[in-house]
Amino acid sequence: MCTALIELTLWIAIFASSTSTSIGGFTREYYLAYVLWVAFIGRISSSWMYEFRMIEEVESGSINGLLVRPMSFFEYYLSQLMGYKFVTSIFSLMIPLAVIYWMDLPTDFSKVPIALALVVYYLIMVHCLSFIVSTFAFSLTRVHSFTVAKNLALWLLSGELIPLDLIPEPFKSVLLKLPFCNAVYMPVAYMTGRIPRDVFMQGFLSTTLGILFFGAIGWWLWRRGLTKYVGTGA
Amino acid sequence: MKYARLFAAFFKASLVADLEYRANFVTRIATDIFWYAAQIITFETLFRHTDRIGSWNLEQTRVFLGLLFVVDAFYMIFFHDNLDRMSDRVRKGEMDLLLAKPVDSQFMLSCQRMATALIGNLLIGLSWLSFSLYNLPGFQPARLLWLIFLIPAGLLCLYSVRFMFCSTAILFTRSENLQYLWFQVYKLGMRPDSIYFPWLKFVILTILPVGIVASVPARAILDPPNFALFAWVVVWSFVLLYLSHRFWQWALTKYSSASS
Amino acid sequence: MSLVIETKDLSRVFVSYEKPEGLLESLRGFWDRKHIEKTALAPTTLQIESGQIIGLVGANGAGKTTLLKLLSGLIHPSSGTASVLGFQPWERKSAFLKRISILLGQKNQLWWDLAPNDSFALLAEIYDLDRKTALMRVQELAELLECKHVLQTQLRRLSLGERMKMEIIGSLLHSPEILFLDEPTIGLDIVAQTSIRKFLGEYVREKGPTVILTSHYMDDIAKLADRLLLISKGQFVYDGTVQGFVAKTESLQKITFSLIEPLPENLQLMDGLELSATQQEFSVEVSSKDLAPILGKITRLPGIHNLKFEEADFEDIIHRFLEKESRVLSPGGHH
Repeated sequence: MCTALIELTLWIAIFASSTSTSIGGFTREYYLAYVLWVAFIGRISSSWMYEFRMIEEVESGSINGLLVRPMSFFEYYLSQLMGYKFVTSIFSLMIPLAVIYWMDLPTDFSKVPIALALVVYYLIMVHCLSFIVSTFAFSLTRVHSFTVAKNLALWLLSGELIPLDLIPEPFKSVLLKLPFCNAVYMPVAYMTGRIPRDVFMQGFLSTTLGILFFGAIGWWLWRRGLTKYVGTGA
Repeated sequence: MKYARLFAAFFKASLVADLEYRANFVTRIATDIFWYAAQIITFETLFRHTDRIGSWNLEQTRVFLGLLFVVDAFYMIFFHDNLDRMSDRVRKGEMDLLLAKPVDSQFMLSCQRMATALIGNLLIGLSWLSFSLYNLPGFQPARLLWLIFLIPAGLLCLYSVRFMFCSTAILFTRSENLQYLWFQVYKLGMRPDSIYFPWLKFVILTILPVGIVASVPARAILDPPNFALFAWVVVWSFVLLYLSHRFWQWALTKYSSASS
Repeated sequence: MSLVIETKDLSRVFVSYEKPEGLLESLRGFWDRKHIEKTALAPTTLQIESGQIIGLVGANGAGKTTLLKLLSGLIHPSSGTASVLGFQPWERKSAFLKRISILLGQKNQLWWDLAPNDSFALLAEIYDLDRKTALMRVQELAELLECKHVLQTQLRRLSLGERMKMEIIGSLLHSPEILFLDEPTIGLDIVAQTSIRKFLGEYVREKGPTVILTSHYMDDIAKLADRLLLISKGQFVYDGTVQGFVAKTESLQKITFSLIEPLPENLQLMDGLELSATQQEFSVEVSSKDLAPILGKITRLPGIHNLKFEEADFEDIIHRFLEKESRVLSPGGHH
């Protein structure tokens, strides 16, 4: 909430002291809409709590449970994550929806459902990343700092700070090709009319590739971690 | 003075203890570097599309960021860990042994364990500050002298208010919400104060003095000296420190100490 | 002998809130919280002379730690006054704190990641001690405690016993006049306990500080204390010498024995003392006057062996005394 207010203030100030009425091709209202959405969508597509729990469980090593059905560790926490996000999203979305409607900021409400669908789909990839981090707990202590570093990096890459279309080339194209922008930039930019439909749909593709890539790494690390763990004698 | 010696002793002891965990020196930088990058990239990108934000341009905003990084690094090194752990210590009854020492308890609680591993962060901050000053047209090095007062004053303000937030741990056992609130407030200070509405700007320069941390020192370097503002900051820092001390003494009378 | 500690009607009451059960109660509790007042220490008037060693004994939550914390200035009293070395403890004046020391068993004041020597250097700084003197004192104490060889090893690498010894050195570094020791030997193995007990005995005899010691191990109290304070539910129920206490309570004999085969049915030895048919190992406490007849009955039991007599433990005596004070009579015959 506070973050949204601070960012709103920033953009109002930017436009107040700017010579033109548009920045990067969009007027002030577009930016206000962007930051408002970002503050809430950003909360949906990040994972702290469940990642910490996963790390804890691996650290505490209830090894039998882990060995028997590794898939259930992944699935269990995925369902927990989804359930939690579902409930909190319903509440957190009410504010931006209300404010945007009331202030008449540019948002195409018909696009909201599919934008949210991308966020939900992206969450699966987020979970794969959490899974990878939790496998570090097999061989390292103080894994929390990885979570912090990872989330800080994602914060940067996802478009939470500034709309990615403002970033100069060649960085812009790179960032848009990476799956991380689907956390915030893709859905919000689509809803607020910054990108056309075909660019948005690519988000599903890059997320799918991300899920496959990180999922594979996670699976491999998990297998390795378990054998190593059992090898040292629980 | 005894407290100055103790401060140095705590620093030295913390460094010896931290050197045990050499990896930490690197991991902290590796983690925080994204934070620094984020702040820098935000403004660098924004300034490609506009000339001014608030009352400053790119070069000036860089200086602002440099000062923010430096003061933040000092705060993180000296106080952050101690204050963060305060509510935990109250809950677990670990304060008792501190209270029994013939040294002011507020000092003990706030300075005992310093995060010397964050010296790397300070170096990053100083590098960026140097870089930004080097690229600042019309830079007057003499103005740096103001920082001798303003940075400690800003630190004291920040510390005092944060300490008061943390002292409430004696009164309420669960103060996580208060900590969270603090972080939100701190974020206000991470932007130049000129972007805020007048009343908000007033608040962040007084009651919740996060604006004093970076905006005021930045003004000292970038604008002609505003003696009134500087005097205010120094005076206010002492006032806040005194208030935090009184508040702490009062909170202690309510201390019931976890049972063994 | 001068008075170092004097209290008058010193008391401490803790206020807490009743935790409501269930949703309805929680909602009601939101408006109208019920206060629960617990008297941790009832108004107490005490006088302690310099050089005395006080053993403070009582069940958990009886108030011993509360008294310790009040006298050392950690908490404020709800009412009453106290004067320790002429100071009001909870004002926590520097001059006062430099002359006392508090040791809380199982809590560390020394830094986890530093070698004890480094922690001691810090303490010397905190207590304004001359570096050299402090160093000598560390050597002296470490010699007595037989832990010189680990002074340079990080605290976290030491065993529990060694850590406690270091904590003790830390608390004696500034030669305090009053020592508050809260469970100093708790959790330690028997070797460490004996070693520390021996050290404390010697130290106290030589340097003569006033000591207030709480412990669950009656051996600590019996061997060190010359005055025993028994506290139960915030009230003092006994104040005198250890010997006086032992004399006051019935001297009990503990008889232990085993049977090759269990009894066919429960056997009553006397009023309130029954041997159960399900056991084969027995331990009974009997006062001196009942000893002869009971012993007669026991020796006539078939298949009896391993018969032993013991003076009842100091611990058992105290517990019996405390139980009597709480008006709860326990049936004779422990298991």
